[in-house]
Amino acid sequence: MTISRRNLVKGGAAGAAFSVPSILRGQTAPSAKRTVKMQNGNITNFDPYSNSTYHTVDHGLAIYDMLFALDSKFTPQPQMVGKWRVSEDKKTYTFELRDGLGFHDGTSVTAADCVASIRRWGQTASGKLVMERTRDVSKKDDKTFTVALREPLELLVDQMASSTSYLLFIMREKDADRPPTQPVTTHIGSGPFKFNEALFRPGVRYIYDRNEKYVPRQESPSGLAGGKIVKVDRANWESLNDVQTALAALQAGELDFVSDPLAEFYPMIENDPNLVLEDLHKSGDNYYLGINFLQKPFDNVKARQALLHLVDQDAYMRVLNPNPKYNRPITSLFGTDTPYVNDVNTGWYKKGGDPEKAKQLLKEAGYAGEKVIILQPANWLQGSNVAQLLALTLRNIGVNTELAPSNWAALVERLSNKGGVESGGWSIFPTSAIDIGFGAPLSAEQLVMNGTARGWRKNDEYEALRAQWADSALEERKVLARKMQSLWWDTVGFVFLGQTITPIARRKTLTGLISYPALLPMWNMQQGA
Amino acid sequence: MGGYVCRRLISAIGVMAVVGVFIFLLLRLVPGDAAAMMAGNNATPQEVAGIREQLGLNEPLTVQFVQWALGILSGNLGSSIFAGLPVLTLVSQRIEPTISLSILTMIVSVTGGICFGIFAAWRAGGFVDRMLTAFSAVGYSVPVFVVGYFLTYCFSLGTRWLPVQGYVSIGQGLAPWFVHLVLPTVALSLSYIAFIARITRASMLEVLSEDYMRTAAAKGASTYAMLFHYALKNAAAPILTVIGLSFAYLIGGVVITETVFNLPGIGRLVVDAINNRDYPVIQGVLILVSGLYVLINLAVDLAYRLVDPRIRY
Repeated sequence: MTISRRNLVKGGAAGAAFSVPSILRGQTAPSAKRTVKMQNGNITNFDPYSNSTYHTVDHGLAIYDMLFALDSKFTPQPQMVGKWRVSEDKKTYTFELRDGLGFHDGTSVTAADCVASIRRWGQTASGKLVMERTRDVSKKDDKTFTVALREPLELLVDQMASSTSYLLFIMREKDADRPPTQPVTTHIGSGPFKFNEALFRPGVRYIYDRNEKYVPRQESPSGLAGGKIVKVDRANWESLNDVQTALAALQAGELDFVSDPLAEFYPMIENDPNLVLEDLHKSGDNYYLGINFLQKPFDNVKARQALLHLVDQDAYMRVLNPNPKYNRPITSLFGTDTPYVNDVNTGWYKKGGDPEKAKQLLKEAGYAGEKVIILQPANWLQGSNVAQLLALTLRNIGVNTELAPSNWAALVERLSNKGGVESGGWSIFPTSAIDIGFGAPLSAEQLVMNGTARGWRKNDEYEALRAQWADSALEERKVLARKMQSLWWDTVGFVFLGQTITPIARRKTLTGLISYPALLPMWNMQQGA
Repeated sequence: MGGYVCRRLISAIGVMAVVGVFIFLLLRLVPGDAAAMMAGNNATPQEVAGIREQLGLNEPLTVQFVQWALGILSGNLGSSIFAGLPVLTLVSQRIEPTISLSILTMIVSVTGGICFGIFAAWRAGGFVDRMLTAFSAVGYSVPVFVVGYFLTYCFSLGTRWLPVQGYVSIGQGLAPWFVHLVLPTVALSLSYIAFIARITRASMLEVLSEDYMRTAAAKGASTYAMLFHYALKNAAAPILTVIGLSFAYLIGGVVITETVFNLPGIGRLVVDAINNRDYPVIQGVLILVSGLYVLINLAVDLAYRLVDPRIRY
């Protein structure tokens, strides 16, 4: 028998067609129009009580639900809660769950699940204040539970709805009944999406399927609140490390969404008729320098003030994003868009910086050429560039500066070293946080000055004011904010470098994305024609 | 020969033990904290300490090493700190794209490199030879990611012939599997084709100048017989060595290629694990890769015997 080339080609084609195993051919994958392919980062920890990075929280938003959530105006709205009331002495809150809540494993959400979740949340930095004030959290019946306080807490519901750091997601009692240091290993929630375990590949692909049994609220979606109506069958979240490849895939229609396109590609996206660059998060990233308060020269407040006067925010923002459209200077400790923004004690801000003043302050601080180590996160482009510019400007005013490049994992470890620079310590490190976080001094690590935060900054007077925050109404908090800011800039807890907004890139066919600072709720989005 | 193989395999155990100790110590000496990465940026030092305790990272190094070594001896490479899955499961999820890319790259590189090298040697100083010199310069000097982006621009964004990125399992169809691997394979193969072609050319030139080749030509042997039957066989030993080395170096290129073309392979698994200080994954994968290198070296040594029967073990 002889095999002709033509027959060989025919056979090959037939083989290719039939090489798909029947089990795979039989699967009903959602159609392209009902699937959204998104590029987002890697999830290293799925437990939103043991990790508060944005990707973990995004995962939490997809598969879990919350008792309360903030709307687009950052006002708390009931989400899983149907009815709730406060006792006359304002010490007992009673919450009743709404109907139709169920976990992905088919069991109903009960008050016991909520109690266990609140207790677990209470062990995180975000829930600590509530638990300190709480006498008891207990269930009354399957749908009702109470939070009994030792003393009234004005911000209880605000804290339960907070979207800063650790969000209060409701887990099954058996999952929540463990300390946050033991991450949950299951992905069962009661949220609008179900996690697809079968197609999940760690570090590669995270698949979220529509939870068909989810009962959304009747209100329109607004921020993280309102009706969470899922309009696609599947959200395919790809962890694609290379931004250039991600954008090429977006152009080619292989992806619908890229979460963090680099600034250098903005013109390319803007010129593509099929793509949109959208300021989805409506809130910028505030870049700042963390300072080591324990070591020379920045243990001296004059040296920290020198740093404050030295920084030319425009220059740093150009490094972060060459397009000024996306940049803003920041002078208020409370960011640019929170209710507490004010201009108290911001006289230090000068366009272009003030190197002469910085030199004079360093002299007053008695700076004698001590080595300054700037931690340079080599695998974080923006942080790395900022560190290099800072090193250059410090050297220009005569500071003995050295960059210490490392990846983020090594940098984080070094941050815990309280020793001098000769023994592996550090002086300054660049970092960033979302603007909305600067309006939450109770949970935002960057607004703490009690000696425990990175850099061990300390000011007891400031901390005394911060302690009053939880018991104050909005107008009182605004007054507190002015006093706190005054003390902060006197002490120089950190130094702002400026704010830059990071838009997302999407294909025009993908619409309905919910706008919310830093986070990416996936309900309401839909694929057009 | 059987005795030789046994001896090599036994000595491989010693090599693996040294590699294991080295990898373990190296990872612990490099700064970085898996617990801090797991806790995230907003975690307090107390939360990080709690996770560190939970993961057993506070145990003395000797205890950690003994636990890991005992696990390996019982076939357990440990579990990922972050994914919570056994390392072998993670590797099995990621091995297919890497093996696919490696095999296709080696097929293209060996076929292309040997053919190119033979023709360049046959027409030494001619057009093909000069082409090889130019191609080698380009193949060596242009990084794989530049080639990758260039190919993407031309064949994915320009003509839309091939996909930009991603991987389709061979189980989901031969055609989509192949289509997704064309660009990564070409990008990764260029430098290996250049490498193998240069060595093949040099080796063939040496053999072609031997007396017995002149004798064969005088006896009227065909060009095909001279090149492929006589010369290539005698020039094969250095080429085999280069192919073996290429396999060993392939993992470096695979890491970059997998990143550029978003292939969910072993390379990306290791890079992510290194960034997160996921010690069990790094250790497990490196041990497996080291074992693979040992086997490749053994296979190359055994292959010498096939091309040159004078070699005895």
